[in-house]
Amino acid sequence: MKRIGILLAFVSALAFAGGDQLVVAYQGGAVTLDPHLRNETTTLSWQHHIFETPFFYDREGKVVPVLATSIENTDPNTWILKVRSGVKFHDGTTMTAEDVAYSILRAATHPKSQMKAYVGKVVSARALDEVTVEIKTKVPDPLLPAHLDHAAVIPKAYMEKVGEEGFQKHPIGTGPYKFVDWLNADHLTLERFEDYWGPKPDFAKVVLKNIPQGATRVAGLLSGEIDIAEKVLPQDFARVERSGRATVKQTPGVRIIYVAMDYWREYGSEGLPEGAKNPFLDPAARKAVYMAIDEEAIVKKIMGGAATVAQQFLAPVHEGYSPKIKRFPYDPEGARKILEDLGYGDKDGDGWLELPTKDGKRVPFELRIDAPNDRYLNDAQIAQAMASMLRKIGIKAEVNAVPKKVFFPNMTKGHFTLYIAGWGSMDSINTMLSMFHSKDPEGLYGRFNRQRYHNPEVDALIEKAASTFDPTERDALLQQAMEIAMVQDVAYIPLHYENVIAGVAKGIDFSPRPDEYLHAFEAKKQ
Amino acid sequence: MLRYLLVRTAQTVFAVFVVATLIFLGLQLTGDPMENLAPPDMSAAQVEELRKAYGLDRPVYVQYLRFMGHLAQGDLGISFLSGEPALRLILQRFPTTLKLVLAALFIAVFFGLPMGVGAAVRADTLTDRTLRFLSVLGISAPTFWIGIMLILIFSVNLGWLPSSGLSSWKHYLMPAFTLSLYRIALFLRMVRSTMLDVLNQDFIRTARAKGLMERVVVYKHALRNALIPFITVAGLQFGHLMAGAVVTEKIFAIPGMNRLALDALYSDDRPVIIAFIIVVAVLFAVVNLVVDLFYAIIDPRVRYA
Repeated sequence: MKRIGILLAFVSALAFAGGDQLVVAYQGGAVTLDPHLRNETTTLSWQHHIFETPFFYDREGKVVPVLATSIENTDPNTWILKVRSGVKFHDGTTMTAEDVAYSILRAATHPKSQMKAYVGKVVSARALDEVTVEIKTKVPDPLLPAHLDHAAVIPKAYMEKVGEEGFQKHPIGTGPYKFVDWLNADHLTLERFEDYWGPKPDFAKVVLKNIPQGATRVAGLLSGEIDIAEKVLPQDFARVERSGRATVKQTPGVRIIYVAMDYWREYGSEGLPEGAKNPFLDPAARKAVYMAIDEEAIVKKIMGGAATVAQQFLAPVHEGYSPKIKRFPYDPEGARKILEDLGYGDKDGDGWLELPTKDGKRVPFELRIDAPNDRYLNDAQIAQAMASMLRKIGIKAEVNAVPKKVFFPNMTKGHFTLYIAGWGSMDSINTMLSMFHSKDPEGLYGRFNRQRYHNPEVDALIEKAASTFDPTERDALLQQAMEIAMVQDVAYIPLHYENVIAGVAKGIDFSPRPDEYLHAFEAKKQ
Repeated sequence: MLRYLLVRTAQTVFAVFVVATLIFLGLQLTGDPMENLAPPDMSAAQVEELRKAYGLDRPVYVQYLRFMGHLAQGDLGISFLSGEPALRLILQRFPTTLKLVLAALFIAVFFGLPMGVGAAVRADTLTDRTLRFLSVLGISAPTFWIGIMLILIFSVNLGWLPSSGLSSWKHYLMPAFTLSLYRIALFLRMVRSTMLDVLNQDFIRTARAKGLMERVVVYKHALRNALIPFITVAGLQFGHLMAGAVVTEKIFAIPGMNRLALDALYSDDRPVIIAFIIVVAVLFAVVNLVVDLFYAIIDPRVRYA
């Protein structure tokens, strides 16, 4: 019986996959095929098969030209972009500077464009001749070339002819695959574009599928229905490897899981006992929590090896990563000693450290750890592990893990003392402005700096970096800001980078990208 | 009859407007939709621009009046995220869910009804007890677990059935069975208890006394009388499945409307959420009407004048 089963499985595997077709299973699906409407990883991953952008990040985090060949700025607000020649759209027309200018401006100004975080500073883009585009920005944007990775190029004439709804029914771009058929957020069928300007992908036909359940993706991988499955869960690694049909590939990603601590309220911080003083205004206390966390153990035991220990907030592929910054070593005794020296020692002898209150009493050091339970890989378990590590040094920690829909609004409103969350962006300037720069009244900076970390010196360095055109100089400024924030101020406690994980069927050569985009055209036949 | 149908239709239209109002107001209480709609890297000013483009910057009463005005014309708005009409997104997935649910209900009736009759006829025998025990399992086994176990057995270990999608009859077997298991058990228990009630009534004794064959007594006289509550429950289950097959659709990656609605809920794509609820409300109204009409066919005493 079992043998028949295996035989049948083998036959059906041949029938489903193999040959010239590649089936890729994602955890989500593209919600639109209008390339400027939705800025979300899976939607963009699917779209990248059809559309390309002037520049894009490579796997090492370098910005490389794609539909552009070069770009330079004639003054801080003006850029001259040269367009690659000989690029064809899927309808056979040739891409011109006119199309590129139109697309950049559409991404920058369309009322529903979600790409404005990247190209929102662009005020005009016009073709000077067949291959030259002049781009003007409102304020200097040294990172404009990188930001053009969110400005997918579409054919102007076609879009104007069929309109936005018509375009979604049959989208046309310059990418390695052309559109065949799709069901919104469910699947996208693609066919290799034989007139593609670059190296042609190995597979003639590609089907991208949305299979939300991890167990189902793995089942499809093992039964041969699926060739590449993203986000295989750590508990399934052994089963995949044992099957002999597929293997798990991991790449350290750019998404960091971090701990943030209330940096602004001396009293009334919401995760501490009523009336207790918030110890985390002092970098030394933050450092003590940092030293109490055994991150190696979290990566090994909670994450099943599907994460990489973080030395700092930025990942090695990022601009501004400083090789000088290392983790504070795991040292629970040292951590407890720091807190005792700060005056939080256990005076009543019940084993728990203590916090002073406003009226001069002492209360046990109780601490609520806030975390989402459905946003990051094993997020609630990470919080649990951290709670037990903090209990070891005498902090009576409890976990409050809630769905992301509740968690994030609560964090934004400041209902926390200490929380665990994640952040992923290729763009270090964006990271520094959103996470490390102090909040300003206009809400331009520090949008996700919910703990309200603030250091004028760091603010100045970030602002200077954000307007520096020279990459080496910019990198040095960011490193300097990061060293102050991470080492001197202990602005955040970095935990780990989530690995980007994919299950890959035997016979296919593929490994995931650090930026979490998954592209079928990067898969090779072995 | 025609007058009855007209009244029912008018009631349905009214119900849709009430439901739409409740949902619209309910969604206002769930907080700022931009939290989930806007990508996290947009600046506050850009988020406000986006809010304006989605029409969410207007006062709630203006939004409500506009929404109701459009609804009256059958326009449920454009999905924030996809840029396509929300109703179209739901309706293009409606047939998928419908086919899945009909397959599940067919399996459930096919097994549940005869098993219920059998259990009632053989009340308190070993057969009856075994069936009742199995039905407890069927009612309490979580859909999620059944689905995953079926996939592990039939897709991974045996390799007989595809694990995801809904493109051939083979694709239907596991998800339809997963959905039907609870209903088989439910129908079994319901038919058993109503059949027992009916079998104890006087007219059954009379039928037996006049020498009718037991089979005729059970299937013609008893079952016919037990069918009315059964059809009510089956109709309700149809509605519940159409709007509640979300776990099964998720596990088996079936492109049904429930999964779309769930995704819309997560990303706060309100036009799609509202379109889904309205489609479900209309569906429930239609199912109830069909069930009521069925009564008249089965029970000659029922007349709609």
